[in-house]
Amino acid sequence: MNGGMITAQSSTSIGQTSFLFYITLIISISAIVLLIIFYYISTQKTILKEKAESMGYESPNEMVRDKLAGKPRLLSWNVFLYDDSKSIALRYLLASMVFFFIAGSFGLGMRLSLTNPNPHLLTPDEYNVLLSEHAILMIYMFALGAAFFLGYYLLPSHLKLKRDVMGGYASVAFWIWLFGGIFILVSRTATRWYYYPPLALELAEYGGGVFNWLAVIGLEMVFVGVVINCIIIIKLIASERSKDIKLSEMSLFTWAMLFTVVMTISSAPTLMVGLGMLFYDFFNPIFFTAASHQVLLFTIMFWFWGHPIVYIAIIPAFGLIYEIIPKFTGKPIYSYNSGIIGLGLLLILSELVWGHHLMNSGLGVAWDIFFGTTSFLVVIPSAITVFNWIASLWSADRIRLTTPMLFVINGIIDFIIGGTMGVILSAAPANDFLHGTYFVTGHFHFIFLGLTVGITFAGIYMLFPTLTGGRKYDVRLARWHFYLTALGSAVMAGAWGIGGFMGMPRATAGYFARFQPYQDVSIAGGIIIAIAQLIFLYNLAKSYTKQPSISMDNVLENNPTSPEIPVTTPAPTPPDINITGGAK
Amino acid sequence: MNKKQIELAWIIAVLVILLSWGAINIVWIGDVHNSIATENNHVSANNSSNVQLIKVQGTQWSWTFTNSSGVSTTDAFNVTVNKTVELVVTSVPGEYIAVIHDLLIPQMGIQIYAVPGQNNTIEFTPTHTGVFFFECVEYCGELHYEMRGYMTVVK
Ligand SMILES: [Cu+2]
Repeated sequence: MNGGMITAQSSTSIGQTSFLFYITLIISISAIVLLIIFYYISTQKTILKEKAESMGYESPNEMVRDKLAGKPRLLSWNVFLYDDSKSIALRYLLASMVFFFIAGSFGLGMRLSLTNPNPHLLTPDEYNVLLSEHAILMIYMFALGAAFFLGYYLLPSHLKLKRDVMGGYASVAFWIWLFGGIFILVSRTATRWYYYPPLALELAEYGGGVFNWLAVIGLEMVFVGVVINCIIIIKLIASERSKDIKLSEMSLFTWAMLFTVVMTISSAPTLMVGLGMLFYDFFNPIFFTAASHQVLLFTIMFWFWGHPIVYIAIIPAFGLIYEIIPKFTGKPIYSYNSGIIGLGLLLILSELVWGHHLMNSGLGVAWDIFFGTTSFLVVIPSAITVFNWIASLWSADRIRLTTPMLFVINGIIDFIIGGTMGVILSAAPANDFLHGTYFVTGHFHFIFLGLTVGITFAGIYMLFPTLTGGRKYDVRLARWHFYLTALGSAVMAGAWGIGGFMGMPRATAGYFARFQPYQDVSIAGGIIIAIAQLIFLYNLAKSYTKQPSISMDNVLENNPTSPEIPVTTPAPTPPDINITGGAK
Repeated sequence: MNKKQIELAWIIAVLVILLSWGAINIVWIGDVHNSIATENNHVSANNSSNVQLIKVQGTQWSWTFTNSSGVSTTDAFNVTVNKTVELVVTSVPGEYIAVIHDLLIPQMGIQIYAVPGQNNTIEFTPTHTGVFFFECVEYCGELHYEMRGYMTVVK
């Protein structure tokens, strides 16, 4: 008996020693890698500076701007040296894609752990970490990163930018945002993306995670980066736009980005303050503890931002859909003005619906009536937008079903399904038994997978020849990527929607055995999505080995939508345009 | 119909559907949600004879139900059919601290948050006997998924 205890004890101390050893090893290796990267970047910057001085420029940024102005921009590691808008855009593309695959694999891990009603592959603690990280990284690092990629990449061309002077700030904002995301990733936070106190204040593995304070700092950094970016984008649109482009003639994507950034800086500050108060609570719990009777205050501050963020994640996609449709129908968008009105109304109304996340929490009847009703009203601008897309497709003589166009059509269908699920949720009688179930997860994933993910991929496929210096992607693989993503997301989100309707609770590491069928179907859907993304990676690798063979001029960059000029089908187009039956 | 008429028909049809739903929603909330969240308007305060008052305490990670005769049960409770049930729900520190929970009984169509330092009330009337499941639907830490159980409606 005694001997056994001694053995157990000594094995724990050996375990601790080797744990410390591995931690030290990991820290040392990452420090060496970071040092090498830093050395490389600073050497390259010095070389660039000397070159700029020898050519008579005061700073390398000016030389880069002059050298690269108006030229197609391809993806290379040099984007970390240059501070112009398009280079910043490509940094966001790289970072957001890395986080997409990290967070996506977390999602797959959760699915695999749910093959059994009792947690089996992952412990509940590990499951909860993946649950929190998946959501936080997908929203703040992938969705916002992709939005900034599209914004910084397309706006300079759409606005015929003359000066691009905010690059230094944009670069700093990028690094703050990136390190914020890395802090969140390594913090192993387990508060879910809500950060609800008092759970978030429970610094333990069974609570919000031992290092949850790091996740709070990380999220605050992400916010600082995001808000700086938003101000820069407003400045790009408002004061650096070419004089040739009137406000009333800007592309619909520009309008979408403008509304997105305005929405961000008008709703982010509440949660930034809330996170500050939360951080203070770690040392001196006075704001959000049971004794303060103000626990719900944080949830209010959170959702004032938390609802707009889901619109912030999709409005750039709305704008990009407006840009992509005319390229493949050969006709202008059905109504430019109602496009702007729809997006603008969405900006206003979507800031007024956040309270519907807190029905049943004890905030009263007036609260429920107000936010229930505004949740109905927010359907109107969404419907305007969807009908505008449908009318544009309906009135086209011919639609060329290229890969980006397929993503757009699937995005519209998914948005209609997910949006309808949202209207159902806004009815309080339904909300009472659907809130907190997988029905909400299904609603959200239909929209997020169809629009944010799907349209980002559509944009990447559109820009592919430019980004890769004139390479083609394999059309058949791209089709498989599309079909499997679309199928997988419909299966997964559909099974969640039905299971949620039967009362299946979300965010759980295990479930009542009665929900097994819905879980199994959604796991199948999740695996299909994962396979599709592997096909995408394989496609990238395959095209990398090919020689550049086509023009780098880009239709998405150089032919923005406008109210007057009808879109003629321009010559430079993505590579799979001439493959399908509908092609010329 | 020409293009303008089709557009108009679309707009009116959508608005009619939405606004009628919205109106029904407002009426329904005024009717049913009246009993949520205020400590003073318990049904039992007005008419205690025909109400089964149950105190519900969420904790990390179980639900405790205490009926009017002071009997407590964990992750299970009994009610009588066709008699209004009133739940007074809060969150208390158990082994750890008090955090936000949310009690959902899907087949009764009710859901109510358990918030530390706050008593939320809700009422419902079961019309069928049987066993119905309930669960916590606000993520509350490690064993959140185990905060579930069965409500039995008896004659
Ligand atoms: Cu709970």
